Amino acid sequence: MTHWPLLSIITFLPLAGAILLIFLPSEKKNMLRGSALFMTVITFAISLLLYFHFDATTAAPQFEEKSAWLGYGISYHLGIDGISLYLVLLTTFLLPIAVLSSWTYIEKRIKEYLIFLLLLETGIIGVFVSLNLFLFYVFWEAMLIPMYFLIGVWGGPRRIYATLKFVLMTMFGSLLMLVAIFVLYVYYYRATGIYSFNILDHYQLLLNPGVQAWLFLAFALAFAIKVPMFPFHTWLPDAHVEAPTAGSVLLAAVLLKMGTYGFLRFALPLFPDAVDRFLPLLVGLSLIGIIYGGLMALIQKDVKSLVAYSSVSHMGLIMLAVFALNVEGIEGAIYQMLNHGLSTGALFLIVGILYERAHTRLIKDFGGVSRQMPVFAAFFLVCMLSSVGLPGLNGFVGEVLCLFGVFRVSPLQAVFAVTTVILAAAYLLWMYQRVMHGPITNEKVKTFKDMNRREIIYLVPIVVMMFWMGIYPQTFLRKMDTSVVHLLNHIKSRERVFVQKTADEPARITDRAEEKPALPGESANPPKPEAKGGNLDE
Amino acid sequence: MNSPAAFLPLVTIVVGALAVLLLEVTLKKENKNYLGYISLAFLAGSGGLCVRFWNGAYSFFNQSLYLDNLALLFFLLFSLAGGLVILLSLKYIADQEANHGEFYALLLLALSGMMVMASSPDLLVIFLGLEVLSVSSYALAGLRRKDTKSSEAALKYFLLGSFASAFLVLGLAFLYGAGRSLVISNIIDYFQADSAQKELGLIGLALVLIGFAFKIALVPFHMWTPDVYEGAPTPITAFFSVGPKAAGFSVLLRIFLDFWGASAETQLVFWVLWTLSVLTMIVGNLVALRQTNVKRILAYSSIAHAGYILVAVLAGDQTSLVFYLAAYLFMNVGAFAALIAMTRKGREYAELEDFSGIGFQYPWIGGTFSVFLISLAGFPPTAGFLAKFYVFSAAVRAGLVPLVVIGVLASLISVFYYLRIIVYMYMREPSPEREAVLIDQENPALFLVLFFCLYGVLQLGIFPGNILTIIRMAVSLL
Repeated sequence: MTHWPLLSIITFLPLAGAILLIFLPSEKKNMLRGSALFMTVITFAISLLLYFHFDATTAAPQFEEKSAWLGYGISYHLGIDGISLYLVLLTTFLLPIAVLSSWTYIEKRIKEYLIFLLLLETGIIGVFVSLNLFLFYVFWEAMLIPMYFLIGVWGGPRRIYATLKFVLMTMFGSLLMLVAIFVLYVYYYRATGIYSFNILDHYQLLLNPGVQAWLFLAFALAFAIKVPMFPFHTWLPDAHVEAPTAGSVLLAAVLLKMGTYGFLRFALPLFPDAVDRFLPLLVGLSLIGIIYGGLMALIQKDVKSLVAYSSVSHMGLIMLAVFALNVEGIEGAIYQMLNHGLSTGALFLIVGILYERAHTRLIKDFGGVSRQMPVFAAFFLVCMLSSVGLPGLNGFVGEVLCLFGVFRVSPLQAVFAVTTVILAAAYLLWMYQRVMHGPITNEKVKTFKDMNRREIIYLVPIVVMMFWMGIYPQTFLRKMDTSVVHLLNHIKSRERVFVQKTADEPARITDRAEEKPALPGESANPPKPEAKGGNLDE
Repeated sequence: MNSPAAFLPLVTIVVGALAVLLLEVTLKKENKNYLGYISLAFLAGSGGLCVRFWNGAYSFFNQSLYLDNLALLFFLLFSLAGGLVILLSLKYIADQEANHGEFYALLLLALSGMMVMASSPDLLVIFLGLEVLSVSSYALAGLRRKDTKSSEAALKYFLLGSFASAFLVLGLAFLYGAGRSLVISNIIDYFQADSAQKELGLIGLALVLIGFAFKIALVPFHMWTPDVYEGAPTPITAFFSVGPKAAGFSVLLRIFLDFWGASAETQLVFWVLWTLSVLTMIVGNLVALRQTNVKRILAYSSIAHAGYILVAVLAGDQTSLVFYLAAYLFMNVGAFAALIAMTRKGREYAELEDFSGIGFQYPWIGGTFSVFLISLAGFPPTAGFLAKFYVFSAAVRAGLVPLVVIGVLASLISVFYYLRIIVYMYMREPSPEREAVLIDQENPALFLVLFFCLYGVLQLGIFPGNILTIIRMAVSLL
């Protein structure tokens, strides 16, 4: 089984589904929904093979596929390790749920909607499985287009503003990252004489710290916008609030993880010296994010934006744990990435269920809903407690691991980090109380029907996973150990095969450098991305 | 090796132009479309001959025309552009009452001028080609005689164009006076060696550059572009935005290929071009933000794209430049094709408002137009992304990192206005007060162009291997 190109199949099956949908008649809505659901379920089923055939004893990329593509280092190169495995699974797991949750929520233009949803899945999986920087960037950018349409066409009243802000902010970071990728590519060529975008090759290259700093800032900016870390988070509440339910779910559950994944896969191992240098700044921003996100969540009037701000706070904790740079921290961060995907995704689904009935999301319009919808109340309670981090549920395991990791580095940081749990308990419980309990103030609430079978079907798997991950985390942690330890060794050790000397090599690099005189525009210094990447300092 | 037959690709086009002119007299008005088919046949013949003479280096007329692979590649590119524009025009010019036989003749003549530009190493001969191209262009811009905007476009183009040509001639005079030659390789030697009277040469080169900067619409010589693009018949606008631009860059490519030496003069020229490129990218994109007419948006976007292509010139990378031109040809002609699909008899729909809601009304046109816009904005996996990728990576390799940073940020600005068109197409409902736009679904030639361009954009964006190989073959022999 493993000799099949599993990763390619998983990545491009949704694309095939999207192409198939183009040719189906747009009137037959149930046929469209059914085909999309079928494609996503099949994709998930195949991705489970990854889990079962995954070899936990090695940190080398598995299920590797490599074939030449454009030459000059650009190759089609896929592979996963213990870090990306779970993110791929999370994506394929959530997509059928996203399709189910849109069953009646989206009535207009369902065909195009499903096409974009499937395209989005291809883009996201592609990001997690690419081992070639070029390929990674292609997926990273390409995935913006379907998201742009999902928010812009099927979103709320301020959708156009939200979607343009989302695309432009994300692109700002990623374009600077593209420049940094070019520079990295040139340096690698200078050091070895080989063109390569292969991330594993680049791990072997140690740049001088000055260059690392610039490149790191460019990469970190792109990822920090995606996570989002504190000063770059402003697109998130807008995008979340305006997006349709499935859009919010995928945005929170998977898209944000692309940022943290980017840090783990690219920014940290490629530029270890720069990480050391900017660590205080990054830790500071994460802490601000934790507290700021939590406080903002407390004062939200809209349930959806409350969940959105809770994301800022939770992602802050994840980033803080990543920057702890120890096994507990990083494993906790990865675990918490999955937890956050499940619990925040579930909360967005819950908000979607409420919105489908009430057509409002304001907390004050609800009250006493649990009397009308007892089943719903139970699901809501579990998802909410999972997000709060109640022992026995998944959130607890992740948060404890994260906090352990942080505590080992600095107890003070851990003290601040704990506020994420306290604040989460405050804003979520308070919100739950106002929405679900108390007297029914709004007559409309009395007409609410409890969850139907479809809604229960798509929430049950999530709740099962919440318990499973909370009670027996070893199923998941076991397979990431080796990769995480390897990553950390890599960051900590400075022994690389090629040590780049940059100071004394002003020559211009082209394929024909020998025959050509230096360019007049060439300065004596090695190229650097100009101050644009420096926004992190502000 | 030299064979007179190799001269045929160029001759075919000129003969085609003359044949169309003669036939025009004898054909009835309803049958004018045949002229289009005849022109297409000539273009195809010329393209076939280009392929036939691939890999030979032929020279004619005492080496004033030189057919190497690069020239042939440009010939093919021009023929392709010409062919696509003719397909777009078949129905359009009949609808717009501009169905004169001269249309095709002028287009073919313009193409022959471009071919001369791409194949000559002598600036004077290049100037001849440029004038043939320009004079035909002036007439083409004014083809909708009853439309005041079209006449305005023609007049403006003519006045400013002749002004630029005058600069060019004056510059040639200076260059010849200083360096005793107008052959490009001699001029390069002259600038790189310790020659006398370099100031004169520099003045000459500056004036020549102004002439070319006008043709390829670099800021601050771009003022004519939006008006001419808006006023000219849309297929002709499509042609203007790719054809003359490609021809101009084919010349710049040859001039600046080996130009960058260590001398102070070449450094000065380098920084002048650097500044022009930055200005072009920034101004083109910023002004496009404020436009509400899609034709004008595309006009300014074509200015901005000239800025990106200039980055390739500065990086001295021919492969990425030619690749960019090819990608730009497909995506821009495609975008204009979608605009043409929205044109009705005697009236053009090109305001942003006109686009409200058409994405879902006409899924095929809306979808392909969106792909072209996304490609122009530079999103993967389209040709536009790969073209920018190659240009910018070549520039980083050449050590031009600040220029690349400015370039990518400028392209970030462009994302906004391209996506804004998509916003109108997909995210707004048509307002009830405006008359609904009806798209002509019965124009097979136009759909052929749309699908061909879509194919080109995706092919160049995902599997450009063969085309890149051909381009590398062409430039490696320089």
